[in-house]
Amino acid sequence: MLLQNLKILSVVVITLGLYTWVSNAIPQVRSEVPEELTFTGEVSEAQLIAAGGDLFAGAGGCTACHGLGTRAPNLLSDEAGTGPIGQRCGERVPGQECKNYLYSSLTETRAFLVPGYDPIMVDQRINLSENQLWALVAYLQSQGGSVTVSGADLQAAASEDTTPAAAGGGATTTSTSLEPMELIRSNMCFACHKLGDEGAQVGPPFDGIGDRLSAAEIRTSILDPRAGASEGYEPLIGIMPANFGQVFTAAQLEAIVQFLASRR
Amino acid sequence: MRDGSAARRTRWILARIAIAFALGTLVLAIWPDGLFAQEASGYQGYREYGEFPVIGSRAAIWIAAQLHLFFAAFVLGVPMFAVVAEATGILNKEKRFDKLAKEFTRLLLVSYSATAIWGAILVFGLITLYPRVWSYLAVVFAPSMWLYTGIFFLESFTLYLYYYGWDRWTTGRSKWGHLGLGVLLNVWGTAVMVIANSWVTFMMSPPAEVTPDTAPSMVRLWSAIANATWMPLNIHRFIANIVFGGAIVSAYSAYRFLLAKTDEERAHYDWMGYIGNFVAISALIVLPFAGYWLGREIYEFNQQMGITMMGGFMSWLWIVQAFLIGVLFLAGNYYLWVGMGRIPGAERFTPYTKYMLVVLVLGVIVWATPHTMIANRSEISAMGGQFHPFLGVLGVMSAKNTAVNLMILTTFLSFLLYRRANKDPVVTWARTGTLIQGSLFVIAAAIVLFYGIYGYFVTAIVRIGFSVYQVAAVLVAIFGVIGIDVLIMRGAKSRGEIRWGEMPARSQYALFVLAVTFTWLMGLMGFARSGIRQHWHIFEVMRDTSEFAATPALGYASIVISACVLIFLVLVAFIFWVGGLAEKPIIVSLASTGPGTHPIERTED
Repeated sequence: MLLQNLKILSVVVITLGLYTWVSNAIPQVRSEVPEELTFTGEVSEAQLIAAGGDLFAGAGGCTACHGLGTRAPNLLSDEAGTGPIGQRCGERVPGQECKNYLYSSLTETRAFLVPGYDPIMVDQRINLSENQLWALVAYLQSQGGSVTVSGADLQAAASEDTTPAAAGGGATTTSTSLEPMELIRSNMCFACHKLGDEGAQVGPPFDGIGDRLSAAEIRTSILDPRAGASEGYEPLIGIMPANFGQVFTAAQLEAIVQFLASRR
Repeated sequence: MRDGSAARRTRWILARIAIAFALGTLVLAIWPDGLFAQEASGYQGYREYGEFPVIGSRAAIWIAAQLHLFFAAFVLGVPMFAVVAEATGILNKEKRFDKLAKEFTRLLLVSYSATAIWGAILVFGLITLYPRVWSYLAVVFAPSMWLYTGIFFLESFTLYLYYYGWDRWTTGRSKWGHLGLGVLLNVWGTAVMVIANSWVTFMMSPPAEVTPDTAPSMVRLWSAIANATWMPLNIHRFIANIVFGGAIVSAYSAYRFLLAKTDEERAHYDWMGYIGNFVAISALIVLPFAGYWLGREIYEFNQQMGITMMGGFMSWLWIVQAFLIGVLFLAGNYYLWVGMGRIPGAERFTPYTKYMLVVLVLGVIVWATPHTMIANRSEISAMGGQFHPFLGVLGVMSAKNTAVNLMILTTFLSFLLYRRANKDPVVTWARTGTLIQGSLFVIAAAIVLFYGIYGYFVTAIVRIGFSVYQVAAVLVAIFGVIGIDVLIMRGAKSRGEIRWGEMPARSQYALFVLAVTFTWLMGLMGFARSGIRQHWHIFEVMRDTSEFAATPALGYASIVISACVLIFLVLVAFIFWVGGLAEKPIIVSLASTGPGTHPIERTED
């Protein structure tokens, strides 16, 4: 009986040992917590690039998508003949400086969606501090371009709280305007919705929305975007911020609803 | 981060875990006030995190939660097929099923207290080691926590009635009433599970309106419960519990089989092991489909979370998972093939097993092929690109889905051959029916292969949709073949009775491997589900600011999982041994077990 028990125990222990060994034999990758950077205005370019590089390859989790060139644009080498990101960032948005474009693409992630890719990236302010974001920008600039991020950018960021939490946790507005187009623009609706020549064709277009939805349905879709989706856009459920109910005043919401309902 | 001294580290950490538990228990007993240093905190003078000696707070909570989950899964899974076995016994008037159900339930009885003990350890662990997150959850979920305890109370007393009333309510309406108690037991158990699932899924996928600034008292209870991953996890765990319960019962039977002193005892536990394994593998076949749903909901909730899970730092985890599932398929089929040796007439099918083995091995190889892995520059250059020039083609989802669907079909074929081994159909349309069954297999395999190959020529979003067609083809084939088989085997002529008990010992070790693998796999998937939150207690709502915020690599996780599995199996063995002291096993002679026959019963109470 003792021998039998030992045999059984051996089978159990050998099986456990095998699985433990296999799991330890493969590459070991930890999910690191982004290390807080305590830079001041005296930070050097090399420090910024090094910190940004560590974030990009490690705790920032950027390589899961940007390293492969399948889920998101390849940033470190060539992307469709336009070179690495530092080389092409200044030309992505006419009139916008490279570092500002890179910072915006980290925080307003759907505003500058590269054609051919899904809007999968979230506002990186949820995960990263301002110092970390600027370090990332510096690192990306260094990939084929000149680094223009400086300590002044970090100091400027420190003087204003731009975290999503401070700004409302998703969609943001501090405007008191009741002008629908101004509200639509300032709340980044055009990042996904198209109206005339303005906006991106990611979600359902605003053109003709009054023919497709009633005012009540438009209101519901703004306040509770997860409740449903227009035909063909079901896979995008969850992308639209669900906090517009807290962002807009009642008057602003009605202004937008009536404006959209009249788009026929 | 690579580690070349895995074995030494494994021994070291296992030793630390053992010492920590011993020390932890001792210190808790004699010096409770001094153990947890009060950390400075801005939260109304209360600390945010406690400290646990040697292994740290995270490992302590991890082990407590995992062991609670192992026992909970067992006590939820076993009643499901205990009731089905009892119902089978009533409907077919076969007492052996009734006795089997009772023996399952007896295992259940002693496991309940272990579940509650580990649940208490987990709750006290959370209160003392993670008070901030616990306070938050307690505010959000307070009503459901009270409901949970109430239902748990009902569940426990229903179980007592179910077990202790077994020999009192044995016939007629009272027997049906007893069966109703079993059904009620499952209802309570499932309710308890879905309530607890809402807490863990809320931490993974809180509703969009909950932000870091949302006060927990402002979170709507139902909105928190009905979060994006709640229902998929409910379904996934429901099925997984059946698998797990079956596997543990099989291991118990194997243990009893190997230590049996008489042929009668051996026959009983051989049969019991077969039933447990049958239940486990049958449920395992549909488990991946529930897994697909859960994965899809994770992607829909947050694509970055989905990518972290499948292509980010956890990408290698799926290779280990493929290896484990490969072991399950191979061991499960091996057990069936060996078992055919005790069935007269099964030798007809023996030549086919080698072809099935080839399909299974090729399937495992394809499924375990890495593809989209996190790799550094040197690894990429060594590989010659982002993907391996040859293996990269086999690593894509088209190939993997094809492989796993063919493995499922093959396993189902093994079951079918086992089921038909000693039977010759007598219905006039037997040949036609068998041809239709064969055609269903061929058509399903052809559909799976077609979409597998076609998937290489379409975009990713189209390719994802193909998996639905592949799964549908396999399910239609499985249910179609079963339906025909039930009809075709009505009144079938027997080639001889199954010689229960005439199984080589190696087949029983296969059952142990299956049980260990199922348990380990459960721990691995638990790590995946919980780990994709990364450094968040509640994803993107409450950040983990403790020293253990970083999610560990798979090597460390595997050591904790192995330790949990070992502790669980040792405790289960002890519980079963203790249970055996109080009551001798109920042995039902299986010398004559053909349909309609009544086995000889010998109960040693």
